[in-house]
Amino acid sequence: MVQMLNFTDIISRVRECENTDNYEQSIKIYFLRNFTVEMIEPYLKYNLYFNGIKPEVIFGEYNIINQELLEPNSNLYKVNPEIIILAMFIDNVTYVLSSKDELINLISDLDEQFELLLMNTDSLIILNTFIPSMYSEWGISNPSHVLKSDYIISEINQHVREYVSNHSDRFFLIDWERLVRILGEENSIDYRFWYSSRAPFKNAFLDLYSREITKIACALKGKNKKCVILDCDNTLWGGVIGEDGMDGIKLDKHSYPGRAFFDFQKNLLCLYERGVLITLCSKNNEEDVWEVLDNHPYSLLKRSHLAGWRINWENKVENIDSLARELNIGLDSMVLVDDSPVECGQVKQFLPEVTVMTVPQKIYTYPPLLLRDGLFDTLTFSTEDKNRTQMYQSEFKRKQDQKQFSNIDDYLASLELVETIHPIRSGEVARVAQLTQKTNQFNLTTRRYSEVDIKRFADDIDAAIYVLYVNDKYGEYGLTGILIACFEDDKCILDSFLLSCRILGRKLEKVFVSHCMQEIIKNHNISQWQAEYIPSNKNQQVMNFWEDMGFTLRSTDKGIKKYSLAIYDFKPEQINFIKIVEE
Amino acid sequence: MEDRVKKIMAEILGVDQENINNETTPDTVKEWDSLKHMQLILALEEEFLVEIPDEYIEKMLSVENIFSVLRSLVE
Repeated sequence: MVQMLNFTDIISRVRECENTDNYEQSIKIYFLRNFTVEMIEPYLKYNLYFNGIKPEVIFGEYNIINQELLEPNSNLYKVNPEIIILAMFIDNVTYVLSSKDELINLISDLDEQFELLLMNTDSLIILNTFIPSMYSEWGISNPSHVLKSDYIISEINQHVREYVSNHSDRFFLIDWERLVRILGEENSIDYRFWYSSRAPFKNAFLDLYSREITKIACALKGKNKKCVILDCDNTLWGGVIGEDGMDGIKLDKHSYPGRAFFDFQKNLLCLYERGVLITLCSKNNEEDVWEVLDNHPYSLLKRSHLAGWRINWENKVENIDSLARELNIGLDSMVLVDDSPVECGQVKQFLPEVTVMTVPQKIYTYPPLLLRDGLFDTLTFSTEDKNRTQMYQSEFKRKQDQKQFSNIDDYLASLELVETIHPIRSGEVARVAQLTQKTNQFNLTTRRYSEVDIKRFADDIDAAIYVLYVNDKYGEYGLTGILIACFEDDKCILDSFLLSCRILGRKLEKVFVSHCMQEIIKNHNISQWQAEYIPSNKNQQVMNFWEDMGFTLRSTDKGIKKYSLAIYDFKPEQINFIKIVEE
Repeated sequence: MEDRVKKIMAEILGVDQENINNETTPDTVKEWDSLKHMQLILALEEEFLVEIPDEYIEKMLSVENIFSVLRSLVE
């Protein structure tokens, strides 16, 4: 949660951030706008810096959206931003529109702008809804022969919403109508600066607007959280199960505060549906907790939703650390929800990477806690998201069985691993983009790509994308590996190579890359490989991967290692217990 | 009050506080453009818990004038 600061402090914080240079990621955001929106800059920059992203914010000239879109040499196209915000404010529609035809024209003008953005750029595009006026121009009467402004605005908004859902790979919506609902008109609209300077929004609105933009930027940069860790007593239900018993804990649909805990669980299941891993970390007797999850009529959360748990009387810091290792995810992708300020404080102190959320004193504000800040938001959803918990549960079984084997190869052979490898297909674009955005550990170059980027590689004859599916006797891991190669003359440049963390430690990586390289040799006339390792905070484990594949290190500059390998020196790696299927 | 105003002006305009004196105007500090002026008004309103009437805003184009407007509102 971002701290509430006053406006002057925000401006000076941003200035401090601009003078430091330790941000791993950066982003370029361009505003196409028909009003004075520059006042958002401090808030937007503050929120992005707070999330570890160095922003560059560019404002298009005032109210020349169409010119910028139609002129091929306009600043918009020169800047080539990752995110374009088409920020449009409509004022007093009633006086502008008098017939249904004019409304249809206005909507088709909007569509034209959307289409131009879609075709001429490959950025993510953020639209907004329009804010209905506060007072009805017809007062209490409802004449049927006139176009009321409420009707006009809701028609336009409906159209914008539909457009965004039909183009969900490129378009995102920030619902201004909703932001005004949250803040109230009085805290949102600044008529003084609207009339004097065409700047319609108050700071509170700009702050909220910038947080919504930040959510999208964070998702694009793979900053989303992946796992929630829940305490049990006074977190999943009110009261203490060990003392109050099944009948005493507060969790139901009919009374307060049980209802608030019930709604919290409801929202938790939304996260589960979105592929967020749900785990428990609680000081309790294990049987007591299972009793609630298995048998309580109002516990929506069941044992089958859990990807892991630590229910014991050990130290929470160690428990969380070991959960992270079991699930093989970074501490910085975990969010703890706990009611105890002491436990929260300890975790904050010893595991500062973990996001800590304390259950609020006012329980009626608790249900949306995990949804409010967009911590888990991702740009796209794939079938892998829905099945994620099952995959972790199979992983748990695998680990239990692993204990029977004395050496790792015997164990791996017992898994009956199969790699299915093929060039990317159209239905896989979203998942591939998502993997490039989210994969941190086994990722040689950590290049983040949008769906549009991936489509472009897929359509380019001078590029190739291979995808990897893995399964074993316990189940499927889904699409979990990607190689992106680009061709330049007789060289093949291995642009990106990454594997999802859930399939690491199975000796799959060399087999996968070897197979792709053999396919590339078959299909392309090349004589040399080129590859890179770009260090990030998290990919040390692959630092010597290309050396291990027999590549020769050519140069090292600021940690970036560049390699090459002549085609005849390439020795494909084969492992007899891993079966390869081409599909 | 004078010091608090100068401090806020320095923060908002991004200049050293020594460069702000009673005679400072948008002509002497190039950072003081119309956008910064709006930000300055908002920051001053927040600091002194006042609402500055619109007819004063365009007159507050020197440190001296800012002082006198704020004085009249605070008292």
